[in-house]
Amino acid sequence: MSDQTITAHPPSSAKPARRPVKGIWRQGWQRFARSRTGMLGLILVLLVVATAVVGPFVAPFDPQDQSPMIDPGAKAPPSWVHPLGTDRMGYDVASRVIYGAPTALAVGLGAMSIASLIGVLVGGFAGYRGGTTDEVLMRFTDFFLVIPMFVVILAVIRLLGVAVVNTPFESVPYLNLGVIILLIGVFSWAPIARMTRAEFLRLKNQEFVEAARCIGATSGDILFRHILPNALPSLVVIVALGIGGAVLAEAMIGFLGFGDPAAVSWGQLLYFNYEALKVAPWASLSPGVAIFITVLGFNLLADGLTDAFNPRAKR
Amino acid sequence: MRIFVFLTRRMIFAALLMLGVSAAIFFLVNSIGNPIELMMAETPGMTGEVIDRMKAYYGLDHPPMTRYLLWLSRIAQLDFGTSIVYNQPVGSLIVTWGWQTLKIQLPAILIALAIAILFGVTAARRQHSRSDFAVMATALLGQSLPAFFLGILLIFIFSYSLDWLPSYGAYSTRNPLWGSPTLDALWHMVLPVAMLTFFNTATLTLLMRSNMVDVLKSDFIAAMRASGIPERRVIYVHALRAAFIPMLTYLGLLIGLMLGTAPVTESVFTWPGLGYLYISAIHQLDYPVIMGASAVIAFMLICTTLLTDVIYVLIDPRISLE
Repeated sequence: MSDQTITAHPPSSAKPARRPVKGIWRQGWQRFARSRTGMLGLILVLLVVATAVVGPFVAPFDPQDQSPMIDPGAKAPPSWVHPLGTDRMGYDVASRVIYGAPTALAVGLGAMSIASLIGVLVGGFAGYRGGTTDEVLMRFTDFFLVIPMFVVILAVIRLLGVAVVNTPFESVPYLNLGVIILLIGVFSWAPIARMTRAEFLRLKNQEFVEAARCIGATSGDILFRHILPNALPSLVVIVALGIGGAVLAEAMIGFLGFGDPAAVSWGQLLYFNYEALKVAPWASLSPGVAIFITVLGFNLLADGLTDAFNPRAKR
Repeated sequence: MRIFVFLTRRMIFAALLMLGVSAAIFFLVNSIGNPIELMMAETPGMTGEVIDRMKAYYGLDHPPMTRYLLWLSRIAQLDFGTSIVYNQPVGSLIVTWGWQTLKIQLPAILIALAIAILFGVTAARRQHSRSDFAVMATALLGQSLPAFFLGILLIFIFSYSLDWLPSYGAYSTRNPLWGSPTLDALWHMVLPVAMLTFFNTATLTLLMRSNMVDVLKSDFIAAMRASGIPERRVIYVHALRAAFIPMLTYLGLLIGLMLGTAPVTESVFTWPGLGYLYISAIHQLDYPVIMGASAVIAFMLICTTLLTDVIYVLIDPRISLE
């Protein structure tokens, strides 16, 4: 996304009369730094990233270690050894929550990379070409908008459980998680495509595009140097929101009991511990708070990005 | 005339879409294997003969393609088959359980819309003020708070800690509240509706606010103010109408996804709605219910998408009919 933003606004071509412009990154950063919500979002996202990177080295217990079952016992309240208590099955809640961070980030980033690639290509092409191409591509997009995502994902997870037995795939690590990421990505591009198309439709008949066409700019130039940069602000925001959305989707799949049993995921922690909410609330509330912080971080980041790269949307 | 052609075209596309989605769901589910064989795989003492008779009983003894066509032709006659677990017509199961879903989802959308208009407009009129910041902050928080986690929090606070509201189900099995089944049902609706309302309100408010901010800057608002139309009328009639148009997409999606998002909501509150029915059907591999419910969920979304498109064309003359 940001790469495209750089190529999109070559400082030299914008206003040659001015002093050399600082560059879109520095400008964007300066505006971003002024946005309180954006900075808070960045801090939260960095917190999650730091947890994902450093966490496994500092986590007091291995995520598969059920030994606390014997000492403080299952559902033990928070203590010095177990800062967030232990859960129904004798795991240390803090360690499990820490190990959930890399899973969540892999889901968010993986799924949205897939989604934005497909979405921008399909939506951009449809919006710019118009006519039959637009009609066909948008009907295709509608198709993906109306397939109930959970139905498909739950069904495929079920399918895999049966089909994978006695095949080489059985030994692939985190196969279920990979499939969940892929499916969330494949089913989240439709809104991005619709947004891209709407923006392209809105922009392609505006004066500045016509002006570019008049001075003989090529299709590629118009698309990538004039239309896409103006569509990016809305897209950057929808993608950042999408990362939070993907984390949330995986949490919900896990919460419904269809997560990857080999992976430590926050949704699954909730699924395992929800029935003990009354006796051991810490085991349910901790992963819930972790999901909240992550989703909030990306949403606030999206808000800050709006301020940074699309000041006209809010100011 | 052009509008008639447009409508016919969209209807045909919607029908094709329904066909495509149903085929996708059907063949995906069926690629797992024959539903009866899967269901009975872990039941000891099941002979091939009994399984064959069960397949014949449920009409699942044909190859998938034939079954898909049969299933379609039956659905066209509103016959969704018989549930294997409940041994009841799937159609009536969907209506009974679906009603429970609508009972909490529809009020939540209406209340959310009213709150969103109120707060969104207020925030947009006093942009960058303290109240604007408060509305934005709450909405952003609400948008990020996972709905099911909010539900868990609500249950933890209002059911377990304070013991004010019931934590699960749509009605008490005995001793209804104050002896009135109606009050008892409303009593059980409070927490699920509160959760859904909060969830819907957040995004609607943010959309309302940003649309309103844009509209309030436009020339026609300035012209109206200049011509002396009362401010309240300018805001709540003219600006609101313009700001409301872009929200229709999200509103349509919200209504269309009512059934699709139900599984999560209803798992939290053990609410006997369509989502709960659906999840338990997947767990138990109740094949006719999985097929029927997912078709209805997709149908709902397709219908509202179609409706949204049509409404756009009817109310916004700037959109061409191609």
